[in-house]
Amino acid sequence: MSTTSPAMTAPEAGPAETAVELIGITKRFGAFVANEDVNLIVKRGEIHAIIGENGAGKTTLMNILFGLLQPDQGTIRLNGQDMVVGDPATAISAGLGMVHQHFKLVPSLSVADNVFLGMEIRRNGLIDHTAQIEKTRELSERFGLKVDPEERVSLLSVGIEQRIEILKVLARGARTIILDEPTAVLTPQESRELFQTLRGFVAGGMTVIFISHHLEEVIEVSDTVTVLRHGKHVATGPTSELTKADMVRMMVGRDVSFDRRPREKSDGKVVLDVKNLWARDDRRLPALRDASFTVRSGEVVGIAGVAGNGQTELAEVLAGLRPASHGSAMLKGRDLTVLSTSEIREAGLAHVPGDRLVRGVDGNASISSNLLMGRQDKAPWSRKGILDWRAAATQTVEMIKRFDIRARGPEDTVKRLSGGNIQKVVLAREFTNEADFLLIDQPTRGVDIGAQESIHDEIMRQRAAGRAVLVISVQLDELLTLADRILVMFNGRIMGEVEGGSADSERIGMMMAGLEPKNVSDEVAS
Amino acid sequence: MEILSLFNVALLVATLRMTAPILLVALGGSFTTKAGIFNIGLEGQMLVGAFFAVLGSIWSGSALVGVACGVAAALVFALAFAVLVVSFRANEVVVGLALNILAGGMTISLMKAIFGTRGSIVGKGIVGLPKVQIPGARDILGSWAPLINGFTPMVYVAFIAVPLLVLFYKRTRLGLYIRVVGEKPEAAEALGISITRVRYIASLLCGLLAGLAGAHLSLGYITMFTENMSSGRGFMAVAILIFSNGNPLKVLAGCLLFGFADAFSLRLQTFGFPSYLILAVPYLVALTALFALSYRSRPKIIRETLESMRKLLSVDNKPAEFGK
Ligand SMILES: Nc1ncnc2c1ncn2[C@@H]1O[C@H](COP(=O)(O)OP(=O)(O)OP(=O)(O)O)[C@@H](O)[C@H]1O
Ligand SMILES: [Mg+2]
Repeated sequence: MSTTSPAMTAPEAGPAETAVELIGITKRFGAFVANEDVNLIVKRGEIHAIIGENGAGKTTLMNILFGLLQPDQGTIRLNGQDMVVGDPATAISAGLGMVHQHFKLVPSLSVADNVFLGMEIRRNGLIDHTAQIEKTRELSERFGLKVDPEERVSLLSVGIEQRIEILKVLARGARTIILDEPTAVLTPQESRELFQTLRGFVAGGMTVIFISHHLEEVIEVSDTVTVLRHGKHVATGPTSELTKADMVRMMVGRDVSFDRRPREKSDGKVVLDVKNLWARDDRRLPALRDASFTVRSGEVVGIAGVAGNGQTELAEVLAGLRPASHGSAMLKGRDLTVLSTSEIREAGLAHVPGDRLVRGVDGNASISSNLLMGRQDKAPWSRKGILDWRAAATQTVEMIKRFDIRARGPEDTVKRLSGGNIQKVVLAREFTNEADFLLIDQPTRGVDIGAQESIHDEIMRQRAAGRAVLVISVQLDELLTLADRILVMFNGRIMGEVEGGSADSERIGMMMAGLEPKNVSDEVAS
Repeated sequence: MEILSLFNVALLVATLRMTAPILLVALGGSFTTKAGIFNIGLEGQMLVGAFFAVLGSIWSGSALVGVACGVAAALVFALAFAVLVVSFRANEVVVGLALNILAGGMTISLMKAIFGTRGSIVGKGIVGLPKVQIPGARDILGSWAPLINGFTPMVYVAFIAVPLLVLFYKRTRLGLYIRVVGEKPEAAEALGISITRVRYIASLLCGLLAGLAGAHLSLGYITMFTENMSSGRGFMAVAILIFSNGNPLKVLAGCLLFGFADAFSLRLQTFGFPSYLILAVPYLVALTALFALSYRSRPKIIRETLESMRKLLSVDNKPAEFGK
């Protein structure tokens, strides 16, 4: 175990106050080593962050702890006792609970049904829904996780889905809670609420382990940090003794810059012209209200806003996944609102959806099949309507290299990749499409810091190549580094616009909260 | 006068009677549909159910034993389906079709081997199911009594099964797990629910009801077996299942529609319309209605299907452009 910073102390704790000890864990997938001799000691009552690049083995390590995977070597000690965690049931009975990176809720069931799934409360052999609803309400009040137990999950936002996942874990009596990238899908506001909840947990003597790519929040909320790199343990130490730059260096092995990208002013032709666009959400309520804006060639326009203020609907309308109820969106003279998804792609749209597992990839297919999707009838992928698998394979290998997708090979199943690497597969496919208009929803969700930088580089390269780029992000920092102009959305409306360079985060913050109504600058209307 | 006499109590009674077999088999399919299995093998399960019900009835002289034999045969088919599809992960459509073809061929050759006939088994001591007489029905309902009285037992079983299934999916653990396995298998897995086990159970429950449906065909109103006597009801059930997504109430609605069209066409026949045309009526009515119903909920899928068909056709027309 190497220690790279003087601030690091050897992790040492008496058995009584350790909640979790992983000693010398090694896990191989075939010839690939996902975890190599990793040690992790988590003290009771602390918030312990685990950081590392995409594919560093964070999720794998947690899956081993939770009994979803079996280690090839190593010992697991829970509450000071050696354990063989053969399956999640063992882990749960030892007081562990895990909230996965990708949620596992059943959309058509109610919140209470989901919370009690697998441990239903029954009376006379029948499921007692009333009792389940009551119990869920109790739990939700006790831990300050606000939910309506009777609501159907399919109608809820991701933030609330996460609360349900946490409630599920609490209902099973967990004392140590593992959260895998809990904030990747949350708005800043929801993240703050989550942190408050987590603080409450540890104050009550519980233990929290959480994985994150957002170093600010690691610094803000955690007591101890463990860094993994290429499957190996790099360091463990108190958070207060580390700066963001230290962490980045330990994770990536070099310095990473997050300054605003230098650029030349561009004044290309208008590629996308959105006029008075309206749309409804799944509950048929207006979710996008009268949006008008343009995106020019060689320009990156950012859409800021707290998630759930119409950004998703805007992206879906532009991608042809949701009908517009009024207005038009002209892409080089063709109205996207009347075209089908495939016609929209032909018209020149590349789309990186916000929910990569649902709309971005086919998880069960290989990387090469996923990269092939949508161009199965274009050269060099196919000739005379027949797929050229050899050409496709060369293309795939090239794209894997260019986008630094960490996989064993082009035939690797996408589902097996780490979260961040799945995102890279989507980006690789869409960015190489030569489309005039790039619609990117949450470009770096779940992506590590090194890869964030390279994705930002890639977006700037697309800009330089004259593409029109629309970036939707809940990460304001990201928009400040990338965008030429930032539009702020609130409650379905575009509240206003700020220049990227002179960006005034305070003003943006006010507009995100819905405070500066009807102050749309002239450019927006044009 | 002529037209009015088309609609009467007899037509309603016939509707219920015609609905029963397809309702039974479709409710069986609801288990597999909800568990996330596309079960196209309903037709075959129903057919072997009908055949072995007749065999059992002849051999034992008891209709009840006949029904048990029919169910057992359908269960064997359902088990074979589950082994291939769930355990060996074979393609559902291929396995379903193969089992359907096997059922058709097997019943014909067994008929030849055992009875030395082709076409149908009639008489030979087949004991049919008795009609159920509900005491007092006639006194209370008068001429409406046939609506609830005098059906063979499977008709009652079919209609009572509908609310039971609603309850099953809502309030029992198994019903809940079947839904979860179909809708979000990874959630089931994470909670330690065995997907394989649940899918096996669903397949067997399906076989049970399909077998009952088959027995009803051959021991219900007519006591005979004819080649291919399920005559596409299993496939209609599959269609209804696709549109209803396995929801028991919607299944009932779809089946009633089919049953009504079936009864209506029989009635038209007695009025002297050409029978071949009329035999197609129930299928046309049911399909059209189902299509219309589903168009509202899934316009997008249908639009996209049409579009891709158009594309395919235009590719055929302009092959030169294809390789550019
Ligand atoms: N079931 C599996 N089979 C094969 N390889 C796997 C499997 N699970 C994970 N891997 C590989 O192990 C490596 C570590 O994956 P892991 O999911 O632990 O990364 P991570 O640190 O959680 O990354 P991210 O931040 O992107 O989520 C990855 O390269 C991944 O492709
Ligand atoms: Mg991960």
